[in-house]
Amino acid sequence: MLKFFIKRILEVIPTLLIVTVFIFLFVHMIPGDAARLVAGEDATLEDIKLVEKELGLDRPLHEQYISYMGGLLKGDLGTSLKTRRPVSEEIGARFMPTFWLTVWSMVWAVMIGLIIGVVSATKRNKWPDYVGMFAAVSGLSLPSFWLGLVLIQIFAVQLGWFPSGGMESWKSYILPSITLGTGVAAVVARFTRSSLMDVLKNDYIRTGRAKGVNEQNIVWHHALRNALVPVVTMTGLQFGFLLGGSVVIETVFSWPGLGKLLIDSVAFRDYPVIQAEMLIFALEFIIINLVVDLLYGILNPQIRYD
Amino acid sequence: MEMTQTKKEQYEALLLEEETVRSPLSEFWRKFKKQKLAFVSFIIILFIFVLAFIGPYITPYDITEPDYENVLSGPSAKHWAGTDAYGRDIFSRIIAGTQISLFVGLTSVFLGAVGGTVLGLAAGYYGGWVDRIIMRICDVLLAFPGILLAIGIIAILGPGLGNVIIAVAIFSIPVFARIVRSSTLEVKSTLYVEATRSIGARPSRIIWKHIFPGTLSSIIVYFTMRIGSAILTAASLSFIGLGAQPPSPEWGAMLSGGRDYLSMAPHVTLFPGLAIFITVLVFNLLGDGLRDALDPKIKE
Amino acid sequence: MKKAYVRFGLLLVLIFSLVACSGGEEGEKEVKKVDKTNKDVTIAVSATLTGMDPHDTNDTLSNSVQKTMIEGLVGFDEEMNVIPVLAESYESNEEATEFTFKLREGIEFHDGTPFNAEAVKVNFERVANPENGLKRQSLYGLIDTIEIISDYEVKFTLSEPFGAMLNTFAHPAGGIQSPKALEEFGKDVARHPVGTGPFKFVDWRPSEYLEVEKNGNYWKEGYPKVDKVTFKPVTENGSRVAMLQTGEADFIYPVPTEQVEALQGKDGIVVDSEPSIVVQYASLNTMKEPFNNPKVREALNLAVNKEAFIKVVLNGEADVLDSIIAPNVQYYEKQTPYGFDVEKAKELLKEAGYESGFKTTVWGGNSSTAVKAMEFLQQQLAQINVELEVLPMESGTLSDRIWSVENPADAEVGIYYGGWSPSTGDADWGIRPLIGGEAAFPPNSYNVSYYSNDKVNAGIAAALETANSDDRAAAYKIVQQEAWNDAPWIFLATTRTLAGKRDYIEGAYLLPDNSLSITEIEIKE
Repeated sequence: MLKFFIKRILEVIPTLLIVTVFIFLFVHMIPGDAARLVAGEDATLEDIKLVEKELGLDRPLHEQYISYMGGLLKGDLGTSLKTRRPVSEEIGARFMPTFWLTVWSMVWAVMIGLIIGVVSATKRNKWPDYVGMFAAVSGLSLPSFWLGLVLIQIFAVQLGWFPSGGMESWKSYILPSITLGTGVAAVVARFTRSSLMDVLKNDYIRTGRAKGVNEQNIVWHHALRNALVPVVTMTGLQFGFLLGGSVVIETVFSWPGLGKLLIDSVAFRDYPVIQAEMLIFALEFIIINLVVDLLYGILNPQIRYD
Repeated sequence: MEMTQTKKEQYEALLLEEETVRSPLSEFWRKFKKQKLAFVSFIIILFIFVLAFIGPYITPYDITEPDYENVLSGPSAKHWAGTDAYGRDIFSRIIAGTQISLFVGLTSVFLGAVGGTVLGLAAGYYGGWVDRIIMRICDVLLAFPGILLAIGIIAILGPGLGNVIIAVAIFSIPVFARIVRSSTLEVKSTLYVEATRSIGARPSRIIWKHIFPGTLSSIIVYFTMRIGSAILTAASLSFIGLGAQPPSPEWGAMLSGGRDYLSMAPHVTLFPGLAIFITVLVFNLLGDGLRDALDPKIKE
Repeated sequence: MKKAYVRFGLLLVLIFSLVACSGGEEGEKEVKKVDKTNKDVTIAVSATLTGMDPHDTNDTLSNSVQKTMIEGLVGFDEEMNVIPVLAESYESNEEATEFTFKLREGIEFHDGTPFNAEAVKVNFERVANPENGLKRQSLYGLIDTIEIISDYEVKFTLSEPFGAMLNTFAHPAGGIQSPKALEEFGKDVARHPVGTGPFKFVDWRPSEYLEVEKNGNYWKEGYPKVDKVTFKPVTENGSRVAMLQTGEADFIYPVPTEQVEALQGKDGIVVDSEPSIVVQYASLNTMKEPFNNPKVREALNLAVNKEAFIKVVLNGEADVLDSIIAPNVQYYEKQTPYGFDVEKAKELLKEAGYESGFKTTVWGGNSSTAVKAMEFLQQQLAQINVELEVLPMESGTLSDRIWSVENPADAEVGIYYGGWSPSTGDADWGIRPLIGGEAAFPPNSYNVSYYSNDKVNAGIAAALETANSDDRAAAYKIVQQEAWNDAPWIFLATTRTLAGKRDYIEGAYLLPDNSLSITEIEIKE
């Protein structure tokens, strides 16, 4: 297993290298004059030239790439063009809000999703199944920004129960995490249902039933354990994507997270920040894939790697 | 390589056999009709298609003509869904906007499916370095959440519905490529492809005649499921100001414009949101039904 | 199981109708009554603050926050008139090349460093030096020498006459920071602001909040009257308003125009709406057909209903623009509005040879207000058969396609919708960058109508060569008349500053340039 991991990690290196080139070119292909944007709306050409020089944007592109890579290898993500603070600080400050929002969204989404999934699978083709699955498809089909706006309208503006934006107390997490988690809950529910149904068809479950093992016991102890494998994979991937920060939801709720930062940085052509964020997304994706593989091994010992 | 007479016969026999094995249309219809929810969705989708074609001609009001004396009025007998910031009838605009959302959803997924299928077939059939390169690129593309990729692409290409379609198509490609690749591998390993190969048919013919049909059911199911998310993504992009141009009654753009009036005139956001929701919902339900009826190995 | 669908469907319908109805009752909705027991104030603002170094800042919002901590020699009052702040008095020579300031005595920076002529010199030498690469260098680039006459008297000599210099000194970028802090932190002062202002810096987390506390040692007797002020960036309009409604914020700005009516006077909420110096216009590329024809430009001005524009796009929170600058800008001179006359506009188009109209494009930002404005123009111009394509662009794209265009002949822009806020409050900065002839063409400046009129250019130049108000006013009078009659823009509106606050807040207001003043903020019982 250790060998497998080392191999996997080594495989990551060429991918990452391609990713950095890809990201760098991609970011610099975006039209727009960063110096002008940094210099401000009523800056004179003098100011703009000054800023361009100050930020090193007047150098040829390949030079910029080399110094970017040089910094990267030393673990330096560069300096934000907009705030002139180290990119690591900019991102660090935005990471935790996104992280906690993701965690809370996932916690409730996975719980609700699992319950709906299990109930649906065990009551297959009965009304709880239909309602559960209909709710799940609805959850997938809701435009999240719209759901966010509707929730703000009801619970923040009308009832005043929760704040409509920002990140103040635990209350601030409620509406955005519901908005963010709805889609995840739906996916988890559907996955759990289909996976569990597959497992329930298996021979050993039938044997168990024939032996008179309590149905609840079968579902919760035997079947679910095996059914969870694909659910975990999928949950891991969802977690990874949510960690990237939901651009739209963070915009709706003024959430000071990575998604919002990305939008702001793109608008400002803050190249070092955009590059760093995209790099982090790619890294997250890779790490989560690794973690998922590991969990596979733990949850289902039959799948072991040579 | 020349084909000998016997080999050609074998090949035709295989084709014939394939025909009999693969004519499950009636089988499919029988199963599909059982999926009541999907069936109802299918009917609604037909209705949406009709609306998309005739919508612009049947709107009760002109969809661009402003009425500044009657802005932001709530739903009433005269204006079923109320009026927007320019006094235009929202109900009419939603009807007229149907074709836009549908067009964006279908075209972008179609382009993505074509691109992904070609890549997936190539990767699966040829294997080796072709496979590795294609899949590595797909990995890189998949490493970024779709909407971020779309924002990047639109940042490069500029805003507008055409570019939204391209952006959504591009990030649909890797998903299709993966699905098609895995079905290709499966089909490739089945006997008849091995056999056709051994009698020396051209790769393009094998892929087109034998492998592609085998992957079709996965593609169809995924295609249907993807339309919903494409419509959602396009609406999200319009919502953050990167999509449709005014005065287009694109639903996401209508919603975005109404966001400023959330507390005083929620109907401006409510109805376009509902339209998006229902459309995406029926496509997803149809996709589910198709999956169950065709039963390919797609979990999501 | 069919029942189950029905049940579920009913549930959905119920939820949606709840949403729909809840909105309908908005008017009577209760706003939370807030009891204010402490002396802490929270202010929700519309964007993330960029930095606290006034010499290196170009957004009004960050400037506003800086002003709570860092003061200049002179500043602006509620009507954008220049008033003394750290300087007791000032004078200049007739040629507008020498400016002398007498400083207030006995003032200390927050870190205990004394405020004196030396501190003033250090600050302006810092900002004016191009090698320091500060964003506001060009404002003070004209300063040639700074002479310390005594500990509390300092004289600036400019390399050339600049009649608008006093306003430039009053600009927030002229803030005086502690020389000790400048030396200690270098460029990092942007995160360690030390000034003489009523409030002292406490903590700043860029995406969350910036906190300042009372400066007990403030030179203005009796101020400040609150203990702590927290600024929070809340970019989403609805969220900002909701924070005021729930009492999470005591003061917010800007209030989105759509919400003013709903908020005004509701249980303890007051919205202050005052004229700003921001002008909204649609510039017409006068070097391109058909806009090179003055009749076409006049026709376009006549075809747009400005009152309707204000009502629909800005929800009534604006005034019709009646010169190239807003009334609160110095040397403003009212012109006769074009009015709204579709028939006459059609006639003019006919005379110009465009009887059946023409097709063109409007470019502008992609904020919801800008998009709304452009869509409105599209509707209005349709009345005279001008088919307008609306192209919202994000700022980066605009910078490429409009502002960075090197050769005027290559400029693709036809109509551009935009706004301008002359941050110095002087006519010069309201006029020269926008219509100041060839010198102001992109990429040098912002003359995107590529307008050049010799009389205007001469007037602008003349007004800069003197510090005499009467001479300057006379020059700007001609400039404004000429520009108005030539109509390089569709003149639209001047917006209003909109601040929302709880009724117990007093002494906090927005200046016409949309900057905030809270020196005198207090909480009334």
